[in-house]
Amino acid sequence: MILTLFAVCALTFFLMNVIPGGTAELVLKHTLVGLEDSVSKEQVNQISSRYNLDDPLYIQFFRWIKEAIVTGDIGTSYVFKKPVLYLLALRLPATIQLAGVSMVIAILAGVSMGIYSALKENRISDHILRIVTLFGVSMPGFWVALLLILIFSLKLKLAPVAGYGSLENLFLPAAALSLHSVAAVMRVTRISMLETLGQEYIRFAKAKGLPLWKIVSRHALKNAMLPVITVIGFQMGSLLGGAVVIEKIFAWPGIGSLLVDSISARDLPVVQGCVLAIVTMFLFVHFLVDMLYTHLDPRIRYG
Amino acid sequence: MSLLEIRDLSVEFPAGENTVKAVSHVFFNVREGETFGIIGESGSGKSVIGLALLRLLPANANISGAVLFHGQDLFSLRPSELRKIRGKCISLMPQNPAGALNPVLKNRLQIEEVFEERGIDKKEGMKKSLRLMKKLLLKDPEKLCDLYPHQLSGGMRQRLVACMSLSFEPELLIADEPTKGLDPEAKEGAVELFTKIKKEYGKTMLLITHDLDLALEVCDRIAVMYAGEIVELDKASKVLGTPLHPYTKGLVRAQPRNGLVPLSGQSPSRISLPEGCLFHERCRYSGIECFRKHPEMKNHKGGWIRCHFQSLQ
Repeated sequence: MILTLFAVCALTFFLMNVIPGGTAELVLKHTLVGLEDSVSKEQVNQISSRYNLDDPLYIQFFRWIKEAIVTGDIGTSYVFKKPVLYLLALRLPATIQLAGVSMVIAILAGVSMGIYSALKENRISDHILRIVTLFGVSMPGFWVALLLILIFSLKLKLAPVAGYGSLENLFLPAAALSLHSVAAVMRVTRISMLETLGQEYIRFAKAKGLPLWKIVSRHALKNAMLPVITVIGFQMGSLLGGAVVIEKIFAWPGIGSLLVDSISARDLPVVQGCVLAIVTMFLFVHFLVDMLYTHLDPRIRYG
Repeated sequence: MSLLEIRDLSVEFPAGENTVKAVSHVFFNVREGETFGIIGESGSGKSVIGLALLRLLPANANISGAVLFHGQDLFSLRPSELRKIRGKCISLMPQNPAGALNPVLKNRLQIEEVFEERGIDKKEGMKKSLRLMKKLLLKDPEKLCDLYPHQLSGGMRQRLVACMSLSFEPELLIADEPTKGLDPEAKEGAVELFTKIKKEYGKTMLLITHDLDLALEVCDRIAVMYAGEIVELDKASKVLGTPLHPYTKGLVRAQPRNGLVPLSGQSPSRISLPEGCLFHERCRYSGIECFRKHPEMKNHKGGWIRCHFQSLQ
């Protein structure tokens, strides 16, 4: 896990420096919006030396790592002149709220629709659900977001176009963000459920005279959930990735929009911090998934 | 008085454009208190009969005919009525105990739920089950209940499944290939187990097996199946001791202690059955009539046989 974090940090760091354009110059231009042409050579040099941007990359990188480990300080924003940790603490709750709500929607809606679809295998309701979710997994999140804004905000005037704070602000971004995950979770649940329902222990449970709902909830669900949980773990990753774009579209003050802004401003410490935060959350979710696995399947626990 | 009466049972499965005839026009009765065996090679339709009785076949199966249990047709029951029969009157001991136990649930829960739908107190039920488990040669049943199925050995799982199917004292027990996939030692244990079940229990049993030793040991009457049809039906000692049908003769001769003479050839494709007797291609007695006409079941010295030449034998 530590190794993964290190590798991700190194990769972001070097990739950010490979992007064309001098960091110092762009940072400066970004802070002086409207006066970009007035940026002088001296000012650029001044910035460069203040943030040690002229040092070789690996020295910059290891200086950052050392700082991060020894003092817990992961840098100061070039643009906002504030510690990155402070910015993250400011923005993270919004992202966790959005991603968390989307995840809950994805799990609840995806799993229940998947079970329903499996029980109605090859009937009309199953086909309709499958076609709808096929759209769900195929459509890119940003496009869904724009469509939702167009329909629900501009035409029907049911929800605000953008913003943050109240529940109705959450509605559209969460819907746009979770649609893909709902569809993915539903499809996996359906297939996994169908496979489980064909197992011999399901037949034996029927022979015991158990009613269908008990067979599904007690015998099938736990077994069918194993692959679904894996997919939910991966979906969490794509949710965090999708949040970057969705937050930008809905002006959601989360870590995603911070990341996008910092990339264009070449605010390296902030980019680094955002990526670090996202990856940490992702790894944490995967850790949870592994724990859940062993909890659900006794064969893994004792095997 | 027959407890179970099977009339003209046929089961077909669609396979692409064709249909596979798994069971065709099977008639038999199971009398109260007897152990009725169905034997035959793999794919002869034995297990399909067992599952069809409880309507546990996949939804795409085409089933026709009637199954009368206490004179009531099981095929015309509503799902809720069927559940009562399944839970209370007829129980199935499935083949492959490893697959029949849910891997993620503790054994205790899987035993307990047998009583759930019958309004029996779980504790009372468990007490009975534990006694039964002891009787069925399971040691330390209390401890066993707190384990998961994968922590048991194959023989233990089989006993556990047997215990589940017996613990609500069904009127009819359908045992579907109880010795399938067991090693010789566990198989001997199974013979012992079934003799014990029969002695202690004395209830009606339908034993579906390809294990002739088990069938001879436990069954009162036996039906021999070939390619979805019953070809011979009589007392167990007669069917396996002095077999009349050429196919039964072949089966008995193929037993290791009878010289291990294999039956040549293969059973016919069930998508397009041959004309005439289904067994004529492999039969050493077959004559012209066997190619032309499908033999009907005939009464012969108290038993039933489906062969043109029963007088020859």
